[in-house]
Amino acid sequence: MRQPGLDTLIRTTTFRLALRQAVVILGFVLVLLAYVYVATVWQLARDAEAAADQEFAQLERAYAEGGRVRLEQEVVERAARQGSLLYALAESDGTVVAGDLEALPQQPGDGVERVTFPVEQRQARGRMGRLLNGPILLVASDLGVAAQFSARITRVLWTVGVLGLLFSVIGGLLASRHAAQRVEDFSNTARDVMAGDLSRRAPDNGAGDEFDDLAREFNAMLTRLEALVRTTRTAGDAMAHDLRSPLTRLKQRLDHALEAAPEAERDREALRKASEECDRLLEMFQAVLRLARLESRESWTFAPTDVSQIMHDLVEFYEPAAEDAHLTLRAVVADGLTLNAEAGLIQQAVSNLIENALKYTPSGGRVEIRAGLRPDGRLELAVLDDGPGVPQGERDRVMERFVRLEQSRTSEGSGLGLSLVSAVARLHRGVLALGDGLGQAARPGLRAALVLPSA
Amino acid sequence: MRVLLVEDDHDIADTLRVSLEGDGHNVDMIDDGESAETMARNGAYDVIVLDRMLPRKNGVSIVRDLRREGVATPVLILSALHDEDQRIEGLDAGANDYLGKPFSTRELLARVKALWHGRDLAAMQTKLTVGDLDMDLLARTVHRDGKKIDLQPREFRLLEYLMRNAGETVTRKMLLENVWDYHFDPQTNVIDVHISRLRSKIDREFGVTMLHTVRGSGYRLEV
Repeated sequence: MRQPGLDTLIRTTTFRLALRQAVVILGFVLVLLAYVYVATVWQLARDAEAAADQEFAQLERAYAEGGRVRLEQEVVERAARQGSLLYALAESDGTVVAGDLEALPQQPGDGVERVTFPVEQRQARGRMGRLLNGPILLVASDLGVAAQFSARITRVLWTVGVLGLLFSVIGGLLASRHAAQRVEDFSNTARDVMAGDLSRRAPDNGAGDEFDDLAREFNAMLTRLEALVRTTRTAGDAMAHDLRSPLTRLKQRLDHALEAAPEAERDREALRKASEECDRLLEMFQAVLRLARLESRESWTFAPTDVSQIMHDLVEFYEPAAEDAHLTLRAVVADGLTLNAEAGLIQQAVSNLIENALKYTPSGGRVEIRAGLRPDGRLELAVLDDGPGVPQGERDRVMERFVRLEQSRTSEGSGLGLSLVSAVARLHRGVLALGDGLGQAARPGLRAALVLPSA
Repeated sequence: MRVLLVEDDHDIADTLRVSLEGDGHNVDMIDDGESAETMARNGAYDVIVLDRMLPRKNGVSIVRDLRREGVATPVLILSALHDEDQRIEGLDAGANDYLGKPFSTRELLARVKALWHGRDLAAMQTKLTVGDLDMDLLARTVHRDGKKIDLQPREFRLLEYLMRNAGETVTRKMLLENVWDYHFDPQTNVIDVHISRLRSKIDREFGVTMLHTVRGSGYRLEV
């Protein structure tokens, strides 16, 4: 079974669905990122601000209770603690006397104000204000910790997003490979059924998925179709069979009457003609039944066949007849051509083509038989002549049942010859191709080729 | 000779019997498979003509069982199914010949005779002689009246078959099946051409014609 290629996969519906899903995931990750940003960075900043405000208020209270000495003591003490809070106590002219900072980040105003300033490439945020009698107090939160935290979360989210995207693409590919494989199963089944194997069914994997549902419906349809075709075929066969028996009896009676040797030559001739007509009718029934059987692969046994040998034998078989008809018969047969085939049918098909050429090529003409491998690896068994040929527009038609061209109506034959050859070709999953033969532009002759896949 | 005719279509069976009797044979008729097998086992028949599809037991099974029991009477199977597979199945089961329906009465008569004739001849024979025509199967040479005749391999096989059935009519279909192993009907006169080639080699210089055309049937090699 053929593996679907990547280009086939990305064209599948499943893959498109998976891709759409990936885009949704990406969008979700972005929304999540925004939320996390608000929830962490912004919230942390506000919390830090609140902590700084509270600290500021405590220190203010300490100043009110214990004066400048107590305040300075508190600031020194608190700054010594390793925390996220930054302190600074400055004289009224802005000179820092205690705390974590060496200088105030900005010139203080008259009241209490919000400050935001950089500390060692991080952000700090807090409150600065002039206390009673001049000293300036600053308490701020180092936002660095919060920022680091949110940066980590952001990184995790991005990773999750990219991984999610990757997984959904891979998952999509796998899912579409599965889907493509199932669809391929359906195509293969349909192709085999078209080739005449009505017993083929699409596989039901038992997974209970929608493909199995489809397979069941599909197979039910094929079963119905097969039953209908069988009914028709059986009816046709039965009819041909039923008609053959009385015809056979009729022919036997005629032969019998002929053996009794009637007196008049006229009677003998009439009986002989009637018997010959019986033969022709029986032959046609035979051909029709055969044609019907050629439509189904199951009634034939295929085996490795030496096609080169078959071709050589047929050339040898027809050489004397060609010579008698004053035709030049030339054969170009490659060695070692083999095919998994029904040998008898290949013999018959090629012999039909050769007989056609012998029949329609006028005396003095040329007939050529070629057998070889084409560049595409298929086997070609061709018979070419420089006879009247078949006009371009009629080439498809002559392969239909019972069709003979107007110009050849008068000659013998049931008109089943080429349709039989064509059916043999189809049975071997090949085609019968008609083209220009060995003649000149005005009378191109005919080239009839069986083109058969060798694998 | 004694012929057992097993055929369930009474009309066909009757006409066949008339023809076979007209050809000088004694004919027993039966229309179901099981009775046919009993008769074949007990009666001393020279040839059995057996329809493939019969009530109770089909022709191929009958042949297979008869051969298993050592009954060697030549059997000709008649069948509406005469595609390669069925033919091979019939011959594998032990039938000596297989004739697809529809067939002409002449074809059947010729084959019945050939079957009877074929039993006479030891398969291991190395020399065939018909009149002044000699064939050496080992040296692959043919002489007529002491004069060597050069034949192509296929002409040799054609003549061999005719000599093995000397005195009897062989049909084109029999030649096609036995000499070429082809099982289709050529629409052209290709067999006649082969015969006329052979005739020009074995008859032309010798004045007396041995290879005759039997109108409407086939050919006969005789002195």
